[in-house]
Amino acid sequence: MQVYSTPKSIKKDSKFTFCPGCDHGLAIKLTAEVIDELNLREKTLAVASSGCSVFLYNFLDVDCIESPHGRAAAVATGAKRAFRAQNKDRFVFTYQGDGDFASIGLGESLHSALRGENISIICINNTNYGMTGGQMGPTSTIGQITTTSPLGRNKNYHGFPIKAAEHIALCEGTAFSARCTLYDIKNIINTKKQIKRAFDCQLKGLGFSFVEILSSCPTNWKLSPKDAHKKIENELSKIYPIGIFKDISND
Amino acid sequence: MIKNFIISGAGGQGVLSLGIALANIFILADKYVSFCPCYGAEMRGGAVNCEINMSDNELFILQNSKADFVVAMNQLSFDKFISKVKENGTIIVNSSLAEIKKTRDDIKYIFMPLTQEALKLGNVKTANSIALGILSGLVGNILFDNVKKIFEKALKNKKELLQKNLDAYLLGFKYIQEKECI
Amino acid sequence: MSEKQLLKGNIAIAKAALKAGCKCYFGYPITPQSEIGEFLSLEMQQKNLGYVCAESEIGAINMALGAVAAGAKAMVSSSSCAVSLMQETLSYAASDELPIVLVNVMRAGPGQGYIYPSQGDYNQAVIGGGNGDYHTIVLSPSSVEECALMTYQAFYLSQKYRNPVILLVDGFLGQMAEAVEIKENPYPEIDNSSWCLQGADNRPSRKIHSLEPNQDKLNQHIINLNKKYHTIEQAEADYESYYCDDADIIITAFGSMARITKAICNHYKKRGIKIGLLRPKTLWPFPYQKLRELSKKTKIFIDIEMNSGQMLKDVKLSIRDDASISFIGKPVGDFLKFEEITYAIDNIIKESNLASL
Repeated sequence: MQVYSTPKSIKKDSKFTFCPGCDHGLAIKLTAEVIDELNLREKTLAVASSGCSVFLYNFLDVDCIESPHGRAAAVATGAKRAFRAQNKDRFVFTYQGDGDFASIGLGESLHSALRGENISIICINNTNYGMTGGQMGPTSTIGQITTTSPLGRNKNYHGFPIKAAEHIALCEGTAFSARCTLYDIKNIINTKKQIKRAFDCQLKGLGFSFVEILSSCPTNWKLSPKDAHKKIENELSKIYPIGIFKDISND
Repeated sequence: MIKNFIISGAGGQGVLSLGIALANIFILADKYVSFCPCYGAEMRGGAVNCEINMSDNELFILQNSKADFVVAMNQLSFDKFISKVKENGTIIVNSSLAEIKKTRDDIKYIFMPLTQEALKLGNVKTANSIALGILSGLVGNILFDNVKKIFEKALKNKKELLQKNLDAYLLGFKYIQEKECI
Repeated sequence: MSEKQLLKGNIAIAKAALKAGCKCYFGYPITPQSEIGEFLSLEMQQKNLGYVCAESEIGAINMALGAVAAGAKAMVSSSSCAVSLMQETLSYAASDELPIVLVNVMRAGPGQGYIYPSQGDYNQAVIGGGNGDYHTIVLSPSSVEECALMTYQAFYLSQKYRNPVILLVDGFLGQMAEAVEIKENPYPEIDNSSWCLQGADNRPSRKIHSLEPNQDKLNQHIINLNKKYHTIEQAEADYESYYCDDADIIITAFGSMARITKAICNHYKKRGIKIGLLRPKTLWPFPYQKLRELSKKTKIFIDIEMNSGQMLKDVKLSIRDDASISFIGKPVGDFLKFEEITYAIDNIIKESNLASL
């Protein structure tokens, strides 16, 4: 009996190139499983953006475009509108990091939510700029030591971090906004459920759907993969609470 | 034959509508036409002017230093554009809003209290149509049917306004014809 | 009654875009091009096409990136300082080989400048404001009618070469109106099914990206792009030649500045001095070869621009040392007047050995 197989929407023979213990691989795998389960592989356009998330297109076996840094929501908006203008029913989602989504691209992200663009966004929040070497990002927590906040993020000096899922939930155009994490089996199962809910919202045409995945970055946090997950469990999930902040799909 | 026109005044006086109507009249007469608007950042009340060029052949010069005909709807534009009238050219001045004063003897002045005449017709906004009538009379060879067509297109469903504007146009047109006869 | 109607350049562009099959428009207001978005906002909504009043110019051009990748013809329009904001994505689109049509209705700069006429964005468009080794095709209309025709051409060339195309329009031309007839799109449709991203149905999945960590692959990608640019240079360099044969003097000018120079040519013709006009219709590719040929016969060139001499260097590159070149220009404001230009040309004639004419 086969108990596990690689999702159909993961490219054959592809090997994840993320750092050991990074949650990106798991997040991409869960996304692929949801795409399979919803039979979306043949009608999907995925938008990758700059940062570690960009390598999505090397692993996911769906049509994929890379957007300039931060502009994934705008690229997805254009693509979704273009499909509609061509009378084509297609599924469009973005896969971004927190720096991409909530810092350089906050304008595009927020306005897509405000307009209620019928797209889905998965945002990997690992509280730093991972690809460039662990600089302070929009989500770095107060006290967090990074390469550009060597004394720890100071609220008076550096300012406060952003809670993306809560902000997006405030937008009238948002159909679904949730935060989840991947530090244990229960949460992994929950994350997949939230991704599926978000994708469902788009399929029902309800508007903007958003899943923030609180993820580990062992390399830049300078922790073992295990300790990195512990940090999420004990510290980060207190600052960034796990939960659904808006869901109109059951209204 | 090339003829250049400058229409000037304040925002809200129908300067651009007058320019567009004039340009459309020439289009119906199969002329080459250009229309260049010029206005400030204010949406209302600011200085507005436009230049219309009409020719039997392709137009190469779209912005001229001087014009054959200038319409000045207020004092400010009268002061500003009096120097832009070509030698032997004509300036039509709205004397309701500008002082009757001749500073040049190489051009023709036509003073008419356009605003007052328009008020007499029952709508101050028809002042520009009176000016259009005067211009048409001066340029010559303009079919009233074409003017009517253009007014009808511009004022689609506003029947009352259409009639008032046609009356205004004819007032200007007849005024200049009578004047020219004398 | 003629079919002609009084249309602003901006409206002519918008109307032609619809006729060219433009399915999506994204924009952000800026004078002097806002009429394009205003016109299309109603038309596109009524036709169930894609129209977004974007949050910024950055948003707008990235929406266009997504739309063209999804297989639709898409257009963005903006003006000078705001086109600066779009340069990053233009560079991506060049690398991704995505056919975005960008209309720049120029205003005066640098910085915010003002809405006065200027041709100050020649360098931005032709050399490119984005990073890396790339080119965008740049079309330069000189009449309202050409605004429409070149909009068709922009869509066609962008699809044919899978390359962004900039329609570089003088603000004056966007705002002025002429009697024109919007003709039908003369260009054929180009099939984009071999590359666009509409879902991996019965075919392997595709990816469009500019990131390439493998240096050999990146190198080869740029070499391939340059081969394409070379093809475009050979095939698409276009110009208008007005009395250039046997001319004593040749004027080079682009856009609406070229209009008045025709009157200048006619003026000197009456005086027995043969002046021709060479107007590049494509600013990139630039008609180097034609100018090179002309410089073998004509020995005096005058470049006239509404800037401080941006196209001048391309003219110099064409004629090299084979002819002399003077520049008449003005950076900002009302276009150079007939009298101003003839005054300057009279002086050039006096100083040259043409004085004996």
